[in-house]
Amino acid sequence: MNWFIENISTAVGKKLIMAVTGMGFVGFILVHLVGNLSFYFGKEAFLAYVETLHKLDPLILVIELVLLALAVIHVTTGTVLFIQNWRARSTRYAVTKSAGGRTIGSRTMPYTGFFILLYVILHLLQFHFIDRTQMTPYDAAVNTFASVWYTLTYIAAVILVGLHIRHGFWSLFQTLGLNHEKYMPVIQTVGILFAIAAAVGFAFVPIYIRAVT
Amino acid sequence: MSNQTINLTLKVWRQNKNNPRGSLETYPAKGISTEMSFLEMLDVVNEELTSQGIEPIAFDHDCREGICGMCGAVVNGRAHGHMPETTLCQLHMRHFKDGDTIVIEPWRARAFPVIKDLAVDRSALDTIIQAGGYISINAGGAQDGNTIPIPKENAEKAFNAATCIGCGACVAACPNASAMLFTGAKISHLALLPQGRPEARKRALSMVRAMDELGFGNCSNEAECELECPKGISITEIARMNREFIKAAFL
Amino acid sequence: MTLESKIPTGPLHEKWDRHRFDLKLVNPANRKKFNIIVIGTGLAGASAAATLGELGYNVQNFCIQDSPRRAHSIAAQGGINAAKNYANDGDSIWRLFYDTIKGGDFRSREANVYRLAQLSVNIIDQCVAQGVPFAREYGGLLDNRSFGGAQLSRTFYAKGQTGQQLLLGAYSSLMRQVNTGKVEIFPRREMLDVVLVDGRARGIVVRNLITGELESYSAHAVVLATGGYGNAYFLSTNAMSSNVTASYRCYKKGAYFANPCFTQIHPTCIPVHGTYQSKLTLMSESLRNDGRVWVPKEPGDKRAPEQIPESERDYYLERKYPSFGNLVPRDVASRNAKEQCDKGKGVGETGYAVYLDFADAIARDGREAIAAKYGNLFEMYEKITGEDPYVTPMRIYPAVHYTMGGLWVDYNLMTTIDGLFSLGESNFSDHGANRLGASALMQGLADGYFIIPYTMGGYLAGTHLPEVDTSAQEFAESENRIREQVDKLLSINGRRTVTDFHKSLGKILWDKCGIARDKQSLEKAGKEVAELREEFWKNVNVPGDAADFNQALENAGRVADFLEFGELMVKDAIGREESCGCHFNTGYQTEDNEALRCDETFCHVSAWEYTGPDSEPVEHREQLHFENVELTQRSYK
Repeated sequence: MNWFIENISTAVGKKLIMAVTGMGFVGFILVHLVGNLSFYFGKEAFLAYVETLHKLDPLILVIELVLLALAVIHVTTGTVLFIQNWRARSTRYAVTKSAGGRTIGSRTMPYTGFFILLYVILHLLQFHFIDRTQMTPYDAAVNTFASVWYTLTYIAAVILVGLHIRHGFWSLFQTLGLNHEKYMPVIQTVGILFAIAAAVGFAFVPIYIRAVT
Repeated sequence: MSNQTINLTLKVWRQNKNNPRGSLETYPAKGISTEMSFLEMLDVVNEELTSQGIEPIAFDHDCREGICGMCGAVVNGRAHGHMPETTLCQLHMRHFKDGDTIVIEPWRARAFPVIKDLAVDRSALDTIIQAGGYISINAGGAQDGNTIPIPKENAEKAFNAATCIGCGACVAACPNASAMLFTGAKISHLALLPQGRPEARKRALSMVRAMDELGFGNCSNEAECELECPKGISITEIARMNREFIKAAFL
Repeated sequence: MTLESKIPTGPLHEKWDRHRFDLKLVNPANRKKFNIIVIGTGLAGASAAATLGELGYNVQNFCIQDSPRRAHSIAAQGGINAAKNYANDGDSIWRLFYDTIKGGDFRSREANVYRLAQLSVNIIDQCVAQGVPFAREYGGLLDNRSFGGAQLSRTFYAKGQTGQQLLLGAYSSLMRQVNTGKVEIFPRREMLDVVLVDGRARGIVVRNLITGELESYSAHAVVLATGGYGNAYFLSTNAMSSNVTASYRCYKKGAYFANPCFTQIHPTCIPVHGTYQSKLTLMSESLRNDGRVWVPKEPGDKRAPEQIPESERDYYLERKYPSFGNLVPRDVASRNAKEQCDKGKGVGETGYAVYLDFADAIARDGREAIAAKYGNLFEMYEKITGEDPYVTPMRIYPAVHYTMGGLWVDYNLMTTIDGLFSLGESNFSDHGANRLGASALMQGLADGYFIIPYTMGGYLAGTHLPEVDTSAQEFAESENRIREQVDKLLSINGRRTVTDFHKSLGKILWDKCGIARDKQSLEKAGKEVAELREEFWKNVNVPGDAADFNQALENAGRVADFLEFGELMVKDAIGREESCGCHFNTGYQTEDNEALRCDETFCHVSAWEYTGPDSEPVEHREQLHFENVELTQRSYK
């Protein structure tokens, strides 16, 4: 395994970690987004969806553990990269100007990542680690989104998720070496569409809930 | 060709034995012809400074035709200035306006320590090449040049990657001071040619490791390097390096 | 001392083979006992250092730039000749040999030039194997093009960046040897003296350009590959740091300097446009394959080029040289451009330029085809001048480009100092009085990859070399002399900058020892250079201090040497009372204004011996013997 550790801890290796774990989150977000659609069909539909998920236990537990592992790896590696990149330029420029390559998404990757992490913890506390004997997940959502502040925080967070995807999605292809002049424009477009879909799709849930309750 | 004269204010990074931490100093640049190159403008300023008893600004330069890769500075926040695919020596003053203030800083990267003023030590780039940026063949043993046909398209791709002049602008422009474009270009150049294949795995691994050891940052796929590269080398070379690395490291 | 060229006996095509057999060999196990210093990392230096390293010698390789990859070979655009005859258009080693020797106006050695032509084929193979991305045809095989002065396609190229790609090839081999530990690289070092112990070159003194310290290095042999002296003219296509210092200081230690007046003026450069100009940029002469050179028929015609109708244009090269047209050799093209401008037909603001027009080629082949061949050159031109050559004809004018003169070397490439070799542009050996296009790269690489590895072995194996290290007093003496000069330069505190002096020197040489020369103006130039030198040592202003990164000081040392060397150039030009190749003495021309050689008295190499600061250099002559070619008057009609 020596060779593995050695290779994975290089600059390219660490980027690979970010890409592969990131890909896991892309999948998760996709499933989560689709699952959230059940909200629009009312309480029963949503609870039925939750029920279906629970029937998949212990698979769900495995998936949760995998996601947790991915998160730990993604965050740790991201932090290492952030520190290394900061240190790679010991003196900063007095004037910096982008040549046009950087996007809002790319500039803010480490920061959006950090806030998304905070938000995910909050999100899990609000919806995952709750006493389900007291409250259905549906009620939890309704109660939570009753708060304007939480709703705004939630919307802000999913916009950050969108930004993170905006750079992360195409970036993972580039890191995996999948950059081809024929396909890269498509990948870039899909990335942007997915980023918008995630931000808008997640943000609409609380708005919908507040509208119907 | 309209020859005009403009006046500028320069803010130049000065750093030497007596000022080891360095600072930006302001100098006027008067009567600058718009036909001058940026370095000729610095020559004129230096002649003026010398006659005033001020030590001239140290800056690296050599061929002054955009091919040796020796010159380079960050001009108003842009590596080699704001014109695309241009080295500093080929940046002409017609691209500036009368009254402009120009901030001139050296390449900034931990792997490129400042020697004096705008001159930096880029020997780290040579070290990366030493790690494997070559085909191991001794003089004398080569077969006829036409023995292996190489598709024109591949030869041209290899050529495009090989046009890197090693100026270090990619590192200077990278938000993370990463040398991935430089390294990627060399790995790609050799990986695209049949002659380079036998050593491709070893090369990818050792060059990437060398890059890390020298203290360069990591790529975050922001493509600033590609846009500042005076030879227009694309980040697809970085993707190709990643591919070569993955093959070599994990397959 | 008589000049022994050590040309092997036997038929021309067997000389090199025989010589290689006659040269002694160094046993592989013994090679590691020898240290070799190589100065310069251009095509000649890098290839020599890498190859000697491959053989097992310990090599120390020095360069003036911050990296070996930046040597000025990198700027060669057009290509490299090789007698491969891939194009099946009648090429052969013999023809390349003949073209080169004729192009050099019969002022080079038959044996050297023939060897060069023989080795040309190996160079291409070597470079392809290194991964040099030469241009290829759709079938995947190497592409060739025709190049200035050649009537067949024997030039291999990599777009307009052939020099860059070849140098990066040699550099990669060099880096490989650095990695194996056989070669050690010393960048940002300027060689300031060669150190002789018991009459042999045994080391060098360099200035560390970062710290300003003087450093001594000892070795068993020293190889100089430090390029040409074109910057004596201040404005040239050479890089800013190109200089004569390394060669000149060897000359002062006893290496003879051959043919210093042979300076090639390249016909296709971007014209001068102001006094602040620091260098001239060459446009590859491959452009002359498709571009047509013209001036207005009427002197003083200041109309824009597109307003001058076809009938009022003079395509003077096509008119005067119907069979070669725009592809005449460099010296002919340069001289004709000057002639047209002197008649008042020059174009552009200064009147010192002629048009190089691609309109017909674009109409014939389409813009795309022209862009594929010359795209990067056109971009370069537009970047510098702000004009689009697809629309407006380029303006070009000759500029100093290459120096055929250099340290005198024998067939082994050894100078008159034992153990001091000189390769590439820094020697005089292969190009005679004029170099053909695409043959500088060829010579640099032939010297480095395929000649020095053999002749160095022959020298080391056949010479008793007692151990010498830098504690020898010769090193200390040399360092002291250099230190004195540096202190002197810094203490003058005059009113003129180094660059200012350099510009004055350049103007004297360009006006009086340039494209066309005559006795009277040359004599005047000699006097002016001497006066300027005197003023330099009284009135130069060199700021900063010695123990520092001090570019003004570096430059001051180089200009000081140019000021002495300029006089040698002029002296050599005065002595050569004939016209040959690039040395065009207006007193010696044919009825058609072509260079008129005087083979009876001047079929020789002039090699100059330094005799001290206050005495005149002594000329030694190496007679050139032509056994295989007939000395003809060049005619490109």
